[in-house]
Amino acid sequence: MMRRMPLVLAAVAALTLALPSLARPQGTLISFTGQLLDVRNGYVYFTTGDAFKLAASLKIADYDTGASTMLQPRPKLFARAVLDPATKEVVELDLTSRRLKAETAYAPAVQQAIATKPVSDRAPEIVGVPVTGKEVAVEFIVTVPPTTPIGADVYISTDAGGWNPMEIKLDRIDGSRYRAMRRLASGTKLALRVTRGSWTSVEVGEDGLEPKYPHYFFVREVDAQSYPITVYAWSDNRSGGPQAAQPGAVPTPFNPNPFGGNPLYPPSRATPPGGFPTPRPGAPPNRPPG
Amino acid sequence: MLHMRIPVLLLLACGFFFGASARADAIPTTSLDVTANGVDFFYNRYIVTADGNVKVRLSDGTVIRGETFTMDLKLNRFLVAGDVHVDGRGIHQAGAALAGYPDLDRTFFLPTAGSPERYTYFGLNWSDPHPGREQPGDAFYFPDLTGERPYIKASGARIVPKTDVLFTWARVYTAGVYLPTPKYVVVFSANSHFFENAFQGARFDVSVPFNGSANSLSALHLRNDAFNGTYLAFDQHFVWDNAYIVAAVDPLTQEQRQFNLLGYDRWTPKFESRVFLQESAGSPGIFNEPLNAAAYAQVQLNAGLHRSGLSYTEDNYWQYLLGIPNVQDDQIATNFYSPAWREHPMDASLTWTGFENRLAHIPILLFKLRSSLGMAHDIYGYGGFPNEQPGPPSLYYHMLGGTLYTPAIKVGRFALNLSYDRQKTWFSLPHETDLGDSRATLSRGFDREKIHSFLTYEVRTTDDYWGAAQPLAYPAYYPNPYTTPFGTYTGLDAFRGLATSHGWTTGNVFTPTQYFSLNLQVSRFYDFPVPVPGLYGQPPWQMTADVQFRISRFVRVDVSRSQYFNFGNERWSPQFGIQFSP
Repeated sequence: MMRRMPLVLAAVAALTLALPSLARPQGTLISFTGQLLDVRNGYVYFTTGDAFKLAASLKIADYDTGASTMLQPRPKLFARAVLDPATKEVVELDLTSRRLKAETAYAPAVQQAIATKPVSDRAPEIVGVPVTGKEVAVEFIVTVPPTTPIGADVYISTDAGGWNPMEIKLDRIDGSRYRAMRRLASGTKLALRVTRGSWTSVEVGEDGLEPKYPHYFFVREVDAQSYPITVYAWSDNRSGGPQAAQPGAVPTPFNPNPFGGNPLYPPSRATPPGGFPTPRPGAPPNRPPG
Repeated sequence: MLHMRIPVLLLLACGFFFGASARADAIPTTSLDVTANGVDFFYNRYIVTADGNVKVRLSDGTVIRGETFTMDLKLNRFLVAGDVHVDGRGIHQAGAALAGYPDLDRTFFLPTAGSPERYTYFGLNWSDPHPGREQPGDAFYFPDLTGERPYIKASGARIVPKTDVLFTWARVYTAGVYLPTPKYVVVFSANSHFFENAFQGARFDVSVPFNGSANSLSALHLRNDAFNGTYLAFDQHFVWDNAYIVAAVDPLTQEQRQFNLLGYDRWTPKFESRVFLQESAGSPGIFNEPLNAAAYAQVQLNAGLHRSGLSYTEDNYWQYLLGIPNVQDDQIATNFYSPAWREHPMDASLTWTGFENRLAHIPILLFKLRSSLGMAHDIYGYGGFPNEQPGPPSLYYHMLGGTLYTPAIKVGRFALNLSYDRQKTWFSLPHETDLGDSRATLSRGFDREKIHSFLTYEVRTTDDYWGAAQPLAYPAYYPNPYTTPFGTYTGLDAFRGLATSHGWTTGNVFTPTQYFSLNLQVSRFYDFPVPVPGLYGQPPWQMTADVQFRISRFVRVDVSRSQYFNFGNERWSPQFGIQFSP
C-alpha cells in the first residue's frame, strides 16, 4: 500500500497538470453570457462595450455540448464566458449563434474583471427614457371640424407606413371625434398627419396653412397611452363650409351649383336663351387631381 | 502694393478655409456609403445590416472598415463591429467597434491599441477622443432580427440619415421571390412631401423608386385604372424643408398623357403658395408632336392673419393649346368645336376664414365665420357641367357663412354635440343660394370604452333662388308620374329648386381588443325631392360594415362593405374594400 502511494500521487499530479481547469476549485469560476463584438489583441469585447482579458490557454467550445466547435469568435455570436476571478481572465468561451438572454447586470466578481478603463467623465448629453419595446395599447383620438360629413372616412398617415394617406382608418365615435386603437412597441417614434384618404384632403391649421411639421408621437413605457389630435380644417375645404367655391362648384345661370356635380338632386332644365348648344365630344381630360 | 496684399489675401483665404473646415467638423455625417459582401434591409424594423468586408464612407471622407454593420434608420444610429479600422483626416485607429449617433453628434469607439478603453468623438472631429467619457449603455448592441426576412438584399447602400436609402444592385422581395433591380430607394423621411403626387386615382399603384438623394426621389409606377388599363407612370420629386416640386407623366405608356407639375413653397411662417399645372396631350409617342393638347392651371395663395386666414385660388383652362381648329364659321358650334372655347375660362376666389370663437363667453357655444368673393369667366367653355348650358361670359359673387356648434356636452352618461351651419351666396345675376345644415349627435361609451355608439339627426337644406325666373330655372321637367325600369314615381314636378334632406345615422364601434374592431353604421334618409333610382338621389337606407383585425404583428386587414337595401337594383356594394395597414 505504501509503495502504491507515490504512484497514486504521481497520477494525481499528472492529471492535475494535464487538466488545468480541474486544478482550481470549480466553485471559484464564474460564467456569464453576452453577445460578442470582437476578440482582438488578447481581449474579448462584448456588446456592453466591456472588454475582458483572455487567458493564454483560452478554451473555445460549443455552448450546448461543451465539445470543441468549428465556430470562431466573431461579431454577433453569443457566448458564455467562464471567468477566473483570481486572474481576472476569461479562460473559456462557449459559442453559439443562438440568441442568449442578455444579463442585465454582472456579478461583482465579473464587474471587477472588466479590463476597460472606468468612466471618468460624465456625458450630460446622454439622456433618454429606458424602453423595452413591449407592446403598448395606443389610442388615437382625432377631433374633426364640425362640418365634416357624418359618414366621412378619416385616416392617419405615418412615416412608418410610407406616408400612405389611407394607412390607419379611424372610426367615428361621436359628433366630433374619430378613434383608432393600435398596439405599438414602446420606444416607437411616429410622425403623422390626418387625412381624408388622399393628399388633396389633408389637415391644415386653423389659419388654413399647412402645418409646418407633422405631429410627432412617442410610445412611452406604459401600459396604455392616448394621443389626441385636433383637425381645424381640410385642405380641400379650408373655409369649412358645406361647399367650397371651386371649379365645378361655381353657380352659373341656369346651371345652379347646388344640384350640379352631385347626382343627389335633379338638375335644372331651363332652356337657355338661344337654345341648347350642340353636345360636345365628351368631357376633356384636364381636370384637377382628385 | 498688390504684392504686399497677396500674403494678406492668402492668409485670409487660409483662415476662411480652416474656419470652414472647423465648422464642417462640428456637424454629424450627412451620408453613409456602405458596401459589403451583402447588405440587407428589414422593412418592418427599418434596419439596414451589412456583413463581410464592410466599408462605410462618411460624408467627410472618413472610411470605417469592419466585419459587420447595422443601422437603425428610425433611431438614427449605426454600429460597425469586428476588426474595425477608422481612417480619415486626423484619425487612423483600430478598434473592436464604432457606434455613430448623429442625433447626439457623438461617435463612440472601442480602440484595441493598448489597454481597452472608451473613446468619444464629437461630430466628425477626430482630433480629440475624450477617453473615459460616459457612453450609452446600449451603444454597441445589435438589433434582434431573429426570424426576420430581409425585404431587400443589395451589394451597397447610400444612407442619408432621416431621409432615405439608395440600394444598389438590389433584389426586392416581391410575392415570394427576390426581383432584381439596379437601384431601389426606400424613403423613411418624416417629410411627407416626398409622397405628394399628382396622379389620378387608380385601382392599384406599385411604386418602384429607383433613384434618390437627400432632396430628390425618382420613381416609376405600375398602375391600373378602369379607363387606361395597366400602364407605367413616372414622377420626379424635389423636396426641401419648406418646399417641394413634383413633376409627373401619367400615363407614360398610353397615347393620352397628362404632364403634371405640383409646386409648394412656404415663403414665411404665415404665407404659402402652391401651384398645379397640368397638360393633357394625345400623341402616338412621348416625344412626338401631340395631335391635341389642353391645359389646366391652379394657383393658390394662403396667408395667416390675426385669428383668421386668407386664401386666394385661381383656376385657368386652355382647351386648344395647339390653336383653334379650322372651322368655316367660328361662331357656329359643331360636334368638334364650341365658340365658347375660344377664350380660356377661368375662375378666382378670395376666401376669409375665422378662428374658433366663443359666443358671449359661453364655453360651450362656439362659432366660426367665413366669407368669400369670387368670379368666373367663360366657365362654360370648360364643359363638364351637368346640363352643359351657356351663360354670360363673366359672373361675380360673394358669400357669407358661419358655423355655430358645441363641443361634447355631458348629459348623464351621454355626450351631446350640436352644430348649425349656414351659408348664403349672392351672384351678379338676380340669383342666390342658401345652404343650411343642422346636426345633433348623442353618443355614449359602454363597457369601459369597448363599445362606442352614436345617433345623429341631421337636416340639410339646399335652396336655389332665382326670383321671378324661378319657374324658368326649375320647370316641371319630368312627366308625372315618371316610370323607370325600377318603378313608377310621382311628385317629381313639385321640385322648384328648394331641396331638403333629413335623416338618422347611427354608428356602433365594437373594440373588444386592440386587435379587432367592428364598425356598423346605418342611415335612413328622408329627402325631397324623392330619390329616383337611375336618375338622381341617394338610397334611403344605407348600411356600412367595417371590420379591422390583426393577422400578424405588422399587418392589419380592413374589410368593408355597404348595403343599399334594394334601391333600384342596388343591394350590397359591388365589391369589398380591403386594405392592409400596420
